[in-house]
Amino acid sequence: MFPFRRFRVEDESMRPTLEPGDYVLVNRWAYRFRSPGPGDLVVVQDPEVPIRFLVKRVSDAKNAAHVEVLGDNRASSRDSRAFGPIAIDRIVGKVWLRLRP
Amino acid sequence: MSLLHSLARRLDRISLAPVAYAHCDIPCGIYDPHHAQMAAHTVIRMVDLINQLEKPGSNATPEQRQEYTAKLTRYVATKEQHAEIAKAEVRILWGDYFKPDHLKTFPDLHDLVWKALKSGSKARQEINLQAAEDLLKATNDIASIYWKTKGLETMTVKAPYPTERQTVYPKFR
Repeated sequence: MFPFRRFRVEDESMRPTLEPGDYVLVNRWAYRFRSPGPGDLVVVQDPEVPIRFLVKRVSDAKNAAHVEVLGDNRASSRDSRAFGPIAIDRIVGKVWLRLRP
Repeated sequence: MSLLHSLARRLDRISLAPVAYAHCDIPCGIYDPHHAQMAAHTVIRMVDLINQLEKPGSNATPEQRQEYTAKLTRYVATKEQHAEIAKAEVRILWGDYFKPDHLKTFPDLHDLVWKALKSGSKARQEINLQAAEDLLKATNDIASIYWKTKGLETMTVKAPYPTERQTVYPKFR
C-alpha cells in the first residue's frame, strides 16, 4: 500500500490553514510507530457521515484510543465540540503537505 | 507549490481525489458580541443569587442543608459555565472576526480582550461580583468596537434582565 493519498479540501472550517481548493497529501503510515499528538492536522472518517472524510486539527490526544479534533476556524466548524472524540482507527492519516494553487 | 497543485489537478482527470471536508457548522462571517454580553449578565446574576442564598443555620434539618447545597451547586455550575462561554465568545470575535485593520482603528482591542479573559477566569474561579462586573464591562467595550466596525452607532442602556446593568446595543436604523 502506497502511504500517501491526496485529498481535495472543501469548506472553510480550517481557514486560514487550509482553503477550499487546496490539496493535501496525507501520510497513512504516520501513526504506525507514534501516536497522534495535539496540533497534528489529520484526515478522519466523519463520525456522523462515515462515507465522508473530514480534515481537522487534533486538539487532545490524552486518551490513547481516541482523539479530539477541532477546526482552526472555530466560529464555523463542526468538530469534536459537536460529535465528541474520534476513535484512533477512524484516522486516515496525517497531513504531510499542503498544495495551494 | 503551485506546480504540485496543478499536477494534483491533472491527476484528478485520471482519478478524482476524494474530498476532505473542513466541515462548517454555520455560514462563515456570522458574529455577534451579544452572546458574550449575555453570558456576562448570567455570571452577575449567579453571583447575586449565590449571595442572596440563605445559609443553613446550626439547627437546619438535613433536608434544608440538602436544598441549600443543591441550589448553591447549580448556581456555581451555571456561573462557571457562563464565564467560560463569555470567554469563548470573546476569543471567537478576537481570533476570527477582528482583523489587523480593526486594530489600527481600535488599538486598545487586545487589552480589552485580555481584560475580558482575565476577569472571566476570575469570575469563574471566585464568587466575585467585581470580577463579574469587569467581565460585563469588557464585553460591552468589545461590543461597542464590534458595532463600530459594522458602521453602526451604539447606545448604552439598562438591560431588560434582572441584572439591570448598563449594556451596549447597536442602533439599527
